[in-house]
Amino acid sequence: MKKFIVLLILCCASVQVWAAEATLQNIKVDTDLPAIESGLDVFMNTCHACHTLKYITYLDLVKLGVDKTKVDGMRGDQPLDTSLVGLMPDAAAEQMFGKVPPDLSLMTHAREGGPSYVYSYLLGYYNTPDGVTHNRIFPATHMPDPLGMSTATDPAQQAKIRKTAHDVVSFLAWAADPHKQERHRLGYYVIGYLAFLTLLLYIVKKQVWSRLK
Amino acid sequence: MKNRVIDWIDQRFPLSSFVKHDLTEYPTPRNLSYWWNFGFLAGFLLVLQVATGIFLAMHYKAGADLSFDSVQHIMRDVNYGWLLRFMHATGASAFFLVIYIHMARTLYYGSYRAPRELMWWTGQGLLIMLMATAFMGYLLPWGQMSYWGATVITNLFKVTPYFGEQIVTWLRGDYTVSDATLTRFFALHYLIPFLIIGGVLVHLVALHTVKSSNPSGIDLAAKENIPFHPYFTTKDLFGLGVFLIVFSIFVFFFPNMLMDPANFIPANPMQTPAEIVPEWYFLPFYAILRSVPNMVGGVVAMGLSVMMFAFMPLLDRSRIPGGASNRPMVKLGFYLFLLNMLALGYVGAHPVSAQTLLIGHIATIFYFGSFFLIPFISKAEERWLIKRGLPPALTALMEREARDRGNKQARRRSGDDK
Repeated sequence: MKKFIVLLILCCASVQVWAAEATLQNIKVDTDLPAIESGLDVFMNTCHACHTLKYITYLDLVKLGVDKTKVDGMRGDQPLDTSLVGLMPDAAAEQMFGKVPPDLSLMTHAREGGPSYVYSYLLGYYNTPDGVTHNRIFPATHMPDPLGMSTATDPAQQAKIRKTAHDVVSFLAWAADPHKQERHRLGYYVIGYLAFLTLLLYIVKKQVWSRLK
Repeated sequence: MKNRVIDWIDQRFPLSSFVKHDLTEYPTPRNLSYWWNFGFLAGFLLVLQVATGIFLAMHYKAGADLSFDSVQHIMRDVNYGWLLRFMHATGASAFFLVIYIHMARTLYYGSYRAPRELMWWTGQGLLIMLMATAFMGYLLPWGQMSYWGATVITNLFKVTPYFGEQIVTWLRGDYTVSDATLTRFFALHYLIPFLIIGGVLVHLVALHTVKSSNPSGIDLAAKENIPFHPYFTTKDLFGLGVFLIVFSIFVFFFPNMLMDPANFIPANPMQTPAEIVPEWYFLPFYAILRSVPNMVGGVVAMGLSVMMFAFMPLLDRSRIPGGASNRPMVKLGFYLFLLNMLALGYVGAHPVSAQTLLIGHIATIFYFGSFFLIPFISKAEERWLIKRGLPPALTALMEREARDRGNKQARRRSGDDK
């Protein structure tokens, strides 16, 4: 039995080695409001011109804790429960990029690697010696380098772009799973309660079975 | 007052005798290990899936233009909708895990053997209904993997002789997987669980006729049996507590772990995902499908691979009672078979390459080979064990069974069927 368990663990370990062959930069997204809000600013200024975020409304931003007057500035005269749909008509986008830019609401879930994929992709732009911009994570991409990583040469500038990418990915991770923090908080209570209940049930079981001779 | 109410009911409905027969005086072997908790857990998961499913159905909309959005509506806007959905999705995986452990226990201890064949066969029917329900439920979020998984699997019915094309169209309600497929899958996904509940009742009636097997494989003397309540109710509830802790860790902290990234992209009939992978619980069978080079052969092999378990009571020809605890070859075979299942699961999860193809071929041959060899191995093992000498309890039981068989035959010959 012990040998079997060891073998099982080895099997699991080998699967992980297999999955690591993609060269993503693994990150942990921020869940604090300042980082998410700074990511929101990046999204509104850089991404939102072409990309939609259709499952997030302005009201969601207010509920998250973003300043109401700031949200009002973003939405203009649209109602508060309008979702963050794109500013660019599909036909124009199609003409410009050859395809409609995808909605970003679930992007950090929709790729193998999750937030790390999006982060690595945003930073994956580079220039070839003959001046063509490519992306090492997604070579077939239609999106021009949004954060300017391919032209940044100064390390300070690159660090700043990394921070920007990290923030916007944190924001997108929130947008994909807005109840995550609530879920974790509730999870601790539920598991704590269950642990206590299970302990009691164990004592009851012991007690009942002790009657057997 | 209480007694009068119960008396009133008892005159009209066998309440007290039911409680007595099936709970407070239902004899259960006292040596059952925790591996015997999984039947109860499966029953719990059935209730959980139905309960969360009904509430999800109140907010879900079936429709090619509606489903993906309505799932996001549940996840974001419905109060604790995320909790319902994560419990339901994680519950599906947990259901299969629990059922597979339940089956593994049956195989390990030889619980499928006489007189419990009907339990095993009703269980086999339940497994197939569970698989159908899970498969149809997976289409409902209308993501890329939902769509293409349903396309691949419904397409398999093309191998039906003469009517292949017609049957595929009939199943889908359209020439491709479409809105019509989604709505009928939703209707069936809601229906089949209730058939499963009916099947579970049959399974339980059969259980309460033949009673539980036990790790020793020998039917215990009356004094070794204890009433189900309170001994096994408390034990099952404790097991449920442990299960719920593990379940909650997945629901609250890793709910997306078993979800395919492609299913967060709405279904797109114009674009096939890079890889079409079923849920983990179908992987070994999917690997068998892909390991047979010919499509008809692959479909037949996959169907058979699920059904093979049903033949176990016929294939196992050893007269030595019980499973692995009395029979070393059963133990060895069990672990090898389990390893083989993991190998098949690995093959099913990875794209076809020379390496996975080779492992897949070997594992498929081993899978079917192990079933076909069971009659010979079990007979050889029986001879070997008898020659080596059996514990007296086993010999006594075998002699009694042989005598019973002889008596029955004698009675049949004399024309007395009773």
